[in-house]
Amino acid sequence: MSELLFQGGQLAVTTQSDLLQADIRVLDGIIQEIGPHLQASDQHQVINCSGKILIPALADAHVHLREPGREDAETIASGTEAALAGGFTHVLAMPNTDPPIDTGGMVTFVQTMARNKARIPVSVAGSLTQGREGSKLAEIADMATQGVVMVTDCNHALQDEYVLRRALEYTRHFDMVVGVYPDTPSLSREGVMHEGRESFRLGLPGIPAMAEEIGIERDLRVAHAVKGRIHVQNVSTAEGVATIRRFKERGLNVTAETTPHHLLLNHSALEGYGTRFKMMPPLRTPEDQAALLEGLKDGTLDMIATGHAPHTDFEKNLDFLNAPFGVVGLETALLCVYSDLILSGQLGWDTLIERLSSAPRLLMKSPLTTFEPGHGFECTILDPSLQTTVSRESFQSQSFNSPWLGETLKGGISAVWRGETDLLG
Amino acid sequence: MTEDIPSTPRKDLLTIGELSREEILSILETAKPFKELFTRSVKKVPTLRGKTVLNLFYEPSTRTRTSFEIAAKRLSADVTNFAVSTSSVVKGESILDTIDTLQSMQVDYMVVRHKVSGVPEYIARHTHAAVINAGDGYHAHPTQALLDAFTFQEIYPEMDGHRIVVAGDILHSRVARSVFEVMHQLGVEVGTFGPATLVPDTVPDFVTILTSFEEVLEFNPHVLYLLRLQLERQQANFFPSMREYHRQYGVTLDRFKILRDRGTWIMHPGPVNRGVELVDDVMSYERTLINTQVENGIATRMAILYHLTPEERKRPEPEAGQ
Amino acid sequence: MQEHPVLNPHEMDAAIRQLGERIFERHGTGPLAMVGIQTRGVTLAERLETVLMEKGVDLLHGTLDISLYRDDLSNLAALPHVKGSEIPFEVEDATILLCDDVLFTGRTIRAAMNVLLDYGRPNRIELAVLVDRGHRELPIAATYTGIEVQTAKEDYLRVHFQETDGSDQVIHYAQEGS
Repeated sequence: MSELLFQGGQLAVTTQSDLLQADIRVLDGIIQEIGPHLQASDQHQVINCSGKILIPALADAHVHLREPGREDAETIASGTEAALAGGFTHVLAMPNTDPPIDTGGMVTFVQTMARNKARIPVSVAGSLTQGREGSKLAEIADMATQGVVMVTDCNHALQDEYVLRRALEYTRHFDMVVGVYPDTPSLSREGVMHEGRESFRLGLPGIPAMAEEIGIERDLRVAHAVKGRIHVQNVSTAEGVATIRRFKERGLNVTAETTPHHLLLNHSALEGYGTRFKMMPPLRTPEDQAALLEGLKDGTLDMIATGHAPHTDFEKNLDFLNAPFGVVGLETALLCVYSDLILSGQLGWDTLIERLSSAPRLLMKSPLTTFEPGHGFECTILDPSLQTTVSRESFQSQSFNSPWLGETLKGGISAVWRGETDLLG
Repeated sequence: MTEDIPSTPRKDLLTIGELSREEILSILETAKPFKELFTRSVKKVPTLRGKTVLNLFYEPSTRTRTSFEIAAKRLSADVTNFAVSTSSVVKGESILDTIDTLQSMQVDYMVVRHKVSGVPEYIARHTHAAVINAGDGYHAHPTQALLDAFTFQEIYPEMDGHRIVVAGDILHSRVARSVFEVMHQLGVEVGTFGPATLVPDTVPDFVTILTSFEEVLEFNPHVLYLLRLQLERQQANFFPSMREYHRQYGVTLDRFKILRDRGTWIMHPGPVNRGVELVDDVMSYERTLINTQVENGIATRMAILYHLTPEERKRPEPEAGQ
Repeated sequence: MQEHPVLNPHEMDAAIRQLGERIFERHGTGPLAMVGIQTRGVTLAERLETVLMEKGVDLLHGTLDISLYRDDLSNLAALPHVKGSEIPFEVEDATILLCDDVLFTGRTIRAAMNVLLDYGRPNRIELAVLVDRGHRELPIAATYTGIEVQTAKEDYLRVHFQETDGSDQVIHYAQEGS
């Protein structure tokens, strides 16, 4: 029997936007008691948390681990270590690997690899269609049997409403969601950044906001008509947020995510043509940022997902048109949300843990890590007295395509506890 | 004894936007004596003797490349053309690999043309050589804009208060973007005219969008600047047909007569699509400046080469203790 | 820096007149092509022309900008403004008198001769300078010199003209202790 007492820290809890000064007693990895000034007995090992912030361990419902196929950019091992370093203890791996995860067999294969290589649980999303080609449904029931919680074709937005309709109908018998990527390819075409004044000035082909707006509207209408369970990935536009809000009010079972970069950056970051800011959907306008934050606060957007998309230096050193879309996010997500939104008072801690921990865990059917007696103790400890400079040396990820590379963020993640172990220790 | 240009040396020329009005005027002023050189029996000066100018063209353009080549040679520089097939990108050679190779060839000036916006800027950050943007994507073509400003200034030495209309495919035009900026900096009022599909509302605020030829006449430009239309735009439904484009947005014979009566000057960066942007008659009109632009291109590019200063190449320091 | 006046307005005028006399002695009524080097060489040429015109010499006039022929462009902190050259006469077989205010290393004169030779092959080129301050780096000598001044290499020597600088005078700025 082992007992731990986390003493003197401040807790992020679901019931208030401010931090709560309290101690946590953990017995055999399970939270036993939470309260001020808990007494240490002889059996207790005391962990001094004074000055630190204890956060229910985070989860990310949208990461690309690149294995199998692109182990030069990321592996299950390096990607999950990056997750841990960023305070995440559960991730949902997207199926756009090579070959794609589109059969029960592939799901089992990746799950087995993950069990052997990762120190945290990895849920696996399956492809919606065979080969992610958008025409024939993948064997969804088979994948569901293996525990797949989401089917999605990732950035290959479904172009055929008929396929989307059948997918949303078919998945109703299985406890899973259909993940959709909000885009209308015939409108986004060869675009590489948000269409607007900046794209005109920089002379880069634009992706109009309406490509996403129409995509979301269409997907949610179909889901509503067939009573499907849908999850909108990577929301980036104000109009997209408004559409999701409208369908939620109409009772549609829809969840949605946005990313730290879409919340905190806008298209002016592309000045200088940095491919570390090239992503899909693209960074939008300050007005969109404000709408995303509003949606995050009122719950229209259920979660923050990083969309962690590693790419090698070689790929990102290509010119702006040829460099691939996508940025890494696992190791910076918590710190930049803390630096920019929490410290400025724009977001409360209760909302943060809902969006970065509870909501993604619900989607992944993973036990909640909120601080309540009976919950397993999984906790990310943030030290506000530290600063973290985002650098190649500091990264666990094999790829460095972060918008924050070279920046210094406030706070540092000093420990990630699971049960009786500090996984960063 | 000579007076000096009071500014820190500029390494690269990437966009018009980075130049102040004074710097633009100084380049145009320098281009004048270069143009006078062309009347001498020896058209060459030894200014860049011993320096190497590299034409790095990722996108073929015989005109611009030749113009730079002549400009560099008249300054006595050694000129090398390095044609890069874009397929090498696919084969796995990055731009940086190419730059590293060229860097070791001790190049002093790189003239870069690339079909992707931002590449010259990227190269400039990674080389000691002075980089001249000879056109990148839809982004910028500063040397073209400067030679156009030089040509405009030859006709109207006080450019302030004059008017220009840039007509055609603005959306896909690096020339338009740079001409807008240089003219605005020099106090010229800028209008634009073209199909609504090709003239987005996102043009800079100082540009007046004109929607019919009547509005162009009302704007009454001193210079009408026609852009080359890429014929493949028709395929992407930016306009229905060449015929309709010409009638609606080109200089037709009837329109030409009006412009000629008014004495409007015509400019075009070339090469011209006859019967699309303009009717053939415009080519022999005494106020068509297309050939003057070509001649001025050489003088202006000489002035630009003169204006830029490559970074001193640092010799590798001997390693400590060895 | 120590300021040493070298010529006052009166002495400067006398020096220029004397230069004119010697040129006239050699060339008579010409024809002679006067070519000033931008900027103060042009002024000196104009002053000499006034003297020579009084004597009825047949004069041609040109100006030279040597910026593009300098061999030290990459060592300069700032680029010289190119003003352009104007040689409105036939250089072939002409007798040319190059004029500059100060003769120092000789590099300016070397560049000026290069420019001239790009226009054609003159019969003869001579050089008139108001001040020779020594420290030649090339085997070049003036045909006519107004005054010779002993200077240290790091010193400055400035010729001021009424037209460009508000007064006529020559000043030697010597480094401390020299």
